[in-house]
Amino acid sequence: MKLGYLAYRNMISKPLNLVLSLLLLVLSVSLVTYVLQLSNQLNGQLNKNIAPVDMVVGAKGSPLQLVLSSVLHIDAPTGNINLKEAEQIKNHPFVGTAIPVSYGDSYKGYRILGTELAYFESYNVVLDRGRFFERSFEVVAGSSVAKKLGLQIGDKIVGSHGLAASGGEAHEDHPYTLVGLLEPSGTVVDQLLVSNLESIWDAHAHTDGEHDQEDHDEDEVVEHDHDDHGDKEHNHHEHGEEEHDHESHVDEGDDHQEHEDQEHDHAHEDDGDELEITSLLVKFKSPLGLVQLPRFINENTTMQAALPGFEVQRLMGLLGSGVKTINGIALAILLVSGFSIFISLLKTIRERRQELALLRTYGLGTRKLLYLVLFEGLFLALFGFVLGWFLGRLALLLTSTYIESGYGYVLSIGGPTVIEFALLGATLFIAIVAVTLASTSIFKMNISKILSDD
Amino acid sequence: MQLSCIYISIIFVKIILMVKTAGLNFAYPGEKAFHFPDIDLVPGEHLLILGPSGVGKTTLLHLLSGILPASKGTICINDVEITSLNRQRMDQFRGTHIGLIFQQYYFVKSLNAGENLQLRQSFPKSLQDKERRQQLAARLGLTEHLKKKVTQLSQGQQQRLSIALGLIHKPKVVFADEPTSNLDDKNCGKVIQLLKDEADICESSLVIITHDQRVSQHFKNQIVL
Repeated sequence: MKLGYLAYRNMISKPLNLVLSLLLLVLSVSLVTYVLQLSNQLNGQLNKNIAPVDMVVGAKGSPLQLVLSSVLHIDAPTGNINLKEAEQIKNHPFVGTAIPVSYGDSYKGYRILGTELAYFESYNVVLDRGRFFERSFEVVAGSSVAKKLGLQIGDKIVGSHGLAASGGEAHEDHPYTLVGLLEPSGTVVDQLLVSNLESIWDAHAHTDGEHDQEDHDEDEVVEHDHDDHGDKEHNHHEHGEEEHDHESHVDEGDDHQEHEDQEHDHAHEDDGDELEITSLLVKFKSPLGLVQLPRFINENTTMQAALPGFEVQRLMGLLGSGVKTINGIALAILLVSGFSIFISLLKTIRERRQELALLRTYGLGTRKLLYLVLFEGLFLALFGFVLGWFLGRLALLLTSTYIESGYGYVLSIGGPTVIEFALLGATLFIAIVAVTLASTSIFKMNISKILSDD
Repeated sequence: MQLSCIYISIIFVKIILMVKTAGLNFAYPGEKAFHFPDIDLVPGEHLLILGPSGVGKTTLLHLLSGILPASKGTICINDVEITSLNRQRMDQFRGTHIGLIFQQYYFVKSLNAGENLQLRQSFPKSLQDKERRQQLAARLGLTEHLKKKVTQLSQGQQQRLSIALGLIHKPKVVFADEPTSNLDDKNCGKVIQLLKDEADICESSLVIITHDQRVSQHFKNQIVL
């Protein structure tokens, strides 16, 4: 019979003691691993999602909301901006790419995003099957959406107004046709249905003709009756003009802006000026853009510029202090659990001192008895850690299901990380300290006295 | 000539004694010291140490088995002076060569009866001998109780298991402390016979320490404290 087996039998002979000593350890380990995983994955996903976007330009409001809604797609948009006004930014020398996005509709809780093909490039998303959209009301589906909803190429998708899963009214007259499925990218694109801008405009052009303005959310694209062909032509025309005049426009910012504002006020009379998008996703060509443009836009236009990097950092800063607090509490629990292991071992040694004395008469030296306690302590620590780790992962899985249904984010359930191995090391270290402290009495044990006491 | 040869060989062949003590003396702190008579026990012979309560019977047994270090004097077991061994060597020596049967029954409660026997065979050197366990258990009437928890055993079964634990590893010498104290006359005789028989089978020397006068008829070697 091996010492380890004896230690194991000793331990399971008192299951209640075992559970009690494990409880705190399991609690602290699951808490630490869960919180670390959650914050790391959230941070990682946020950073991945905001990487292609240096600046978002959208309607005035909360910059955090603008970033959350337009880049991360987890909040309602701040409102709409005039396409013409937004496109002037595109031509600024510091700007690399500027991708307009427009949304407000959803299909079974997944957002339908109107944008340009450049959007896919910026996220490095490639097609898995089918093709990208070429005409209005053609849509490609992100991998998670396709998987969850079981979408196939050729499926008809009827968008409903609003972003909630329960949905507003359906745009039944304008069904989308699924033409392509995207490969998984681990970004927010996986959660989207993507079409062109015109589809969004047209879908709402129709509904607005039939319904009162009051029926709609404020984020709705305001539209008038017109046919797409003319619309697009007009757009192109406008675009060209803007490019041409760009430099002077920006340089004479103030004057230009006033002019734009006036134009905006009277926009209802002009189809071209009327076109709106939700926001513009900007990637700078030069870091100088980061310094100059946001301030310029915020001060001189009706739009606001928000920096995703900054906003996410601010958000994680807020979350981070929460994470730190929880981790602090969890580590305190870990220390207390170490103390509880110590008490439990001490109790075990006292309760079993006759057995330990008996083992001495069997020829087990004090060192072997120490191993016996060490086995027990290490087994407790290891078992508690593994149990806690699995519990933490289970909690992560539950959280993942919850936030997936609510926000469309998926947390990956992975193997142990380096930090978790370090935590295991710390747990074992605490167990060894507890064993060392608890087992001093073994060396002082008077077996003659123990074996002659009643 | 022949006679002188025998005489010389008696002088030069050293007789190895199983238990030999000289001038053994022990004092608990602040108490009067116990002085114990010298013991010379030949291998295979049994010895009864009789004495009333309070003369240090259990103390003597603990001294002889090296559980308690002597204040003065020497103890040799199987020609090894155990009074000079360090703690670690003493533990090993005791585990290998000495069998102990305590007045109280001490077992490892998390293990069943059979596993307790197995445990006794595992240290200090593992000599897993299943046949020996089964034979001993059969002779002591424990065969059908080996799977039982030790706490589920009756008083008599616990006593027999305790005897088995003292003998399972074939020790050179077995020390038994008051093995008959709570037995009636009939069972007293049976248990003493059992101990003697088992010790004979193992070729062990048996040393019984007791106050129980009933035992004295079973031993020709006796020391009175």
